[in-house]
Order: sequence, then structure tokens, then C-alpha cells
Amino acid sequence: MPKKMKASDWTICLFLLGSVTEFIVLASPEVNESQQQHPQNVYHDIGVTRNKIVTAQFECYQKIMKDNNQEVIPSRAGPVCNRTWDGWLCWDDTEAGITSEQHCPDYFQDFDPTEMVSKICTESGQWFLHPASNRTWTNFTRCNLHTTEGRRTAMNLFYLALIGHGLSLTSLCVSLGIFFHFKSLSCQRITLHKNLFFSFVLNSIITIIWLTAVANNQELVQRNPVSCKVSQFIHLYIFGCNYFWMLCEGIYLHTLIVVAVFAEKQHLMWYYLLGWGFPLIPAIIHAVARSYYYNDNCWISSNTSLLYIIHGPICAALLVNLFFLLNIVRVLITKLKVTHQAESSLYMKAVRATLILVPLLGIQYVLLPYKPGGRVSAEIYDYIMHILMHYQGLLVATIFCFFNGEVQAVLRRHWNQYRIQFGSTITQSDALRSASYTASSITEVQGCYSIDGHTEHLNGKNCNDIDSAILKPENPFA
Amino acid sequence: MQLILQSIFCCCLLATVAPSVDSAKHDLKRSVRLQRSKRDLSLAALRTLDNSQFIREDDVKDNLRPHSSTGISMRTKRSKNSINQSRRAGCSLGTCTVHVLAHRIHDLNNKLKIGNAPVDKINPFGYGRRRRSVPEKVMTLRQEGKGLRTAWRSSNSQSRLHRLEALLRRT
Repeated sequence: MPKKMKASDWTICLFLLGSVTEFIVLASPEVNESQQQHPQNVYHDIGVTRNKIVTAQFECYQKIMKDNNQEVIPSRAGPVCNRTWDGWLCWDDTEAGITSEQHCPDYFQDFDPTEMVSKICTESGQWFLHPASNRTWTNFTRCNLHTTEGRRTAMNLFYLALIGHGLSLTSLCVSLGIFFHFKSLSCQRITLHKNLFFSFVLNSIITIIWLTAVANNQELVQRNPVSCKVSQFIHLYIFGCNYFWMLCEGIYLHTLIVVAVFAEKQHLMWYYLLGWGFPLIPAIIHAVARSYYYNDNCWISSNTSLLYIIHGPICAALLVNLFFLLNIVRVLITKLKVTHQAESSLYMKAVRATLILVPLLGIQYVLLPYKPGGRVSAEIYDYIMHILMHYQGLLVATIFCFFNGEVQAVLRRHWNQYRIQFGSTITQSDALRSASYTASSITEVQGCYSIDGHTEHLNGKNCNDIDSAILKPENPFA
Repeated sequence: MQLILQSIFCCCLLATVAPSVDSAKHDLKRSVRLQRSKRDLSLAALRTLDNSQFIREDDVKDNLRPHSSTGISMRTKRSKNSINQSRRAGCSLGTCTVHVLAHRIHDLNNKLKIGNAPVDKINPFGYGRRRRSVPEKVMTLRQEGKGLRTAWRSSNSQSRLHRLEALLRRT
């Protein structure tokens, strides 16, 4: 926990380190000219860079000494390049003929930590000498080769995220307004949707705050107030809530469609507990672990495995959702086959249902779980992932509210009532249409509660109905 | 229904605990090492400094073995054999991208870091370990009573020779 060290400890540490290195320099009379260019001269004013390099050097020397003292060198065949500190990075023992690689250090703004540094161990068991200077040399050139592109990508992603969350926020608020205003819509499914949407809204708000007010604000991170750690805690909690509400939607749909035989009216209390309560546990564990083991400023660093405490359960939830999706699609296809439909339309419907469910259940994160290695592919992955992540709220609101047949019907009905009320001229056909919409919406709303009806469908008594209820072109599960 | 929910609850609990234990082990190791680094600068650690005196096999070998500077011919193997030394801590899951982005934005705007890496450290005359010969005499720190004493020790003393030989035999 370097950040937790008191200032006095730091000064002692640096002083002793400096004195030790000075002893070495003083004590060796045949020292190179270049040896005297110690980092201390170059990085005089800039605190962070110098601190990082000195700390890394110190850790490296400690590691080298520890290994030497313990004599833990396994017997290797052939020559070995010895472990060394090259001025910026620490290198382990390497077998001859092998190129050793490490990620670039983050000492400078223009160093990209995702790029690699390489150091070649030659056949004779010596580190590579650069032919131009005949000196031992480490290849750091790749670290700042693509810096400007990387910076542009990061800023693009930043604005992409802000725009995405802004759009999601507006659309979600409008849909939440619709859901709350029209009481006729309310049923268990819509209640779940409301909670999911609400978690999306909170997530968007806290992400926008986190990205603009904390990540983009150096002074705040430097001051490191408790409030920014609290906001990171809330951010992670809301983040978890969002994914666990996707899991709740998955469980609900799965129960409704696959195991509905055993279901009475579902208890929503469990869903609330899973959606709002459970994510507290990983968030709290993460906060405690972070404050003990990796207490960086504002907990902003992403270079710690402690983040898996949050993302492990999320990943598990998404995997469960994937299972649910596959099972739902399986059941749908078997039910549809009974009706002897044409194969093509059957699969089209199945595919459509799957595509609609993917954003609701967050399946895209399972399908693209890991970031690929290469620079270009990683960049493409970043773009795809950020678009999927930040625009998911917009997508979900669009599919499950604006394209929802019930919602559209209710809106049309109210619009027509409004027009009638204010005495605008209505043609005959309009009046007829509004009447039919009223009728259809009433049946749909009633369908909302009819879990018995669903069991009937899924027992295979009335398969044409399930097909029309679930696979309607505009909105099967909404 | 309740049974399914309960079993999912249990699964999620397991999934929470398993990675946290794993990652805690890793980060704990790091933090313990860093905490120890504070203490290691105490006298006890200086004694170990005294023992090894910053001379590694590298220095010794460089001095005693004629080195061939035929580095170019060996570059052919570069792409075939390479090992990755750094175990990069951090989350590489798709859902972590938002934290990575926040961290990256923070890093890019960090005015406290030097903006551009010094070019002379990257070019052929830059970083890489420079050869250093074993000094005739080495200044060492010795603990005497409560204070520190510096002392010159001759490097060709008997014990030193033994150690060098042992190092050479290993390499």
C-alpha cells in the first residue's frame, strides 16, 4: 500500500535508497559516464514519475537480493541471462535464445501500458547488445509508437459513453414515465421492467458522474476525499444491480415459459432481494478488500484483480442468463414445431426472439467475454463493447417500451381519447380503429395476469396462442 | 420456484467468494511486500545488503567472460520463442471495460506524470543494463551498537572469492 505510507516513511525510504545507490556509484571507480545520469536528475520536478521509477527499482533490487539469498535457482540446462534492472523495468532470469516480454510501464503519459517491452536473451546467455551502441539494450520503442492513436481512441470512447448514457437516460426516463402513468399496464412483468429500467437509469447517472467528475478531474483524485471512494462504491453496487436485474428478468421469463407448470403467482420479494440486495455483498467485500490491499486514490485503478469480486458474480449471472436463453429458445422451437409451421418462418421467429432477448438478458457480454490480444482487434473489441454497454439502456427502452404492442396501444387509445375530449373532428374510420385498439389492449392487459393461460399454452393445449402471444413480430416478451 | 432462486443465490455467493479469495492472495502478496519494504530499510535489511553488496552474477560474469557482440545474428529467434514475464493484474472481462476506460481517461490527463518519455532513454544509447565491473573495494554499511558505520572492505578477501566461484559455477 504505497499510498498509505506516511510522508515521513517515504522520505526515509527515498533517502536510504538514494544513499545506497550513491554508495554503489561512489564505490565503483570504473563506472561508466552514463551511469551518472541517474533518474534523479532527469525527473527532478515531477513527483509521480520519479516515485514510480524509484519504487520499481527498489522492489527490483529487493527481489534480486531475496532470490540470491534464498538460492532458489532451479538447475537449468544451458546458459541463462541473469535477472537485472534495466533502468525502468525488472527482468527475471531468462533462458538463452528467448525473448522476454513485459507490459510497458506507466511512468509517462505517452506510454501505453497495453503495449509490450521486449528484451532479448541471446544464445550465449547474454542480454542483447544494440549494434549501434554496443550496449545492453531493452526495446521500449513500441511503448509510445501508437500513443496519439490510443489517446484519440480513448477520447472517442469517452464521448461515445457520455452520448450513449445521455440517450439511454432520456429514453429510459420517458419509458419509466409511461409505465408509471398508465396504471393499466402494470403487471408483474412490467414491474420487473420498471426495476430493470430504474437500475439502468441509476447506472447511467452514476457512470456519467464517475467519468466526468472523477476520472476527468485530477485535483479531486489527488485530494482523494472519502466521498469519491463512496461514489466508486455506489458505482460498483449500481453496476452489479443492473446485471442482477437482467438475471431477474431471465429467471422470471424462464419460470414463466419453461417451469410454469409448477408456478403459482411468483413472489416478487425474491426478485427484489436478488436485484437490489445481493449486489451489496460483492460491493462491500470489494470495498473492504480494496481498503486493505489496494487502497489507491479514489479506487480508480483498474489494474487490480480485486475487481473480479464485482465482476465474478456478474459473469456468473450472465452465464445463468445464457442458459435461460438457450432453454427458452429450445422450448419455443419444440412448441412451434408442433404447429407444423414452415421451417423457415419457424427459425426466423426463433432468431427474432433470441435477438430481442439478448440485450434484455445481457448475453452480449458472455458472447464476447475476453479482450483479444492484438492492437487493432483490441481496439475494435473496445468499440463494440462500449457501444453495447453504453447503449444497452437505449436499446432495452426502445424494444421493451416503445416497440411494445401494449404500450403503443395504450398510447394510441389515450391520444384518441384526448382528441375526442377536445372535440377535434374524428372520421368514422378513426373511431373504429380506436375502438378496436381498446379491445385489443384490454385483452393484452388481461393476458398479463393470466398465468394459468400461460401454463395452458405451454402444456401444449393451445399452441397457436403461444405463438401469437410470444412471437408477435413487434414484441414477444415485452 | 423458490428452490431455483435459492440455488442461484448460493451459486452467486460461491462466485463472489471464489475470485475474491484468489485475487486477495495475489494482492496481499503485493501489499505485504510493499509494507515490508518500509521495514526492510531498517538495520536488519542493511545487514542483508552487507552480505550481497549489490553484486550479482551478472556483474561478475560480465567482467570475467569475454563477450561476443554478435547480437544481430541472434535476432532470428525473436519471434519464435518469447515468454511473457509480467503477470498483469487487472480485469480483462468484457464488463470491466468501463473501469478500464475511466482509468485510462484519468491516466491520460494526469498532469503529475511526465508527458513524454525521454527519447534518449529509448534510443540505442538508452536503457538497458550497463556493464559495471566489480570494484576493488566496496563500501559497506555495518551495524555497530546502535549506529551505522561505513567501512571499506577489500573485495578480494577469501570469503568473497568463494562466493564468486560459486556464482561462476552456477552460470
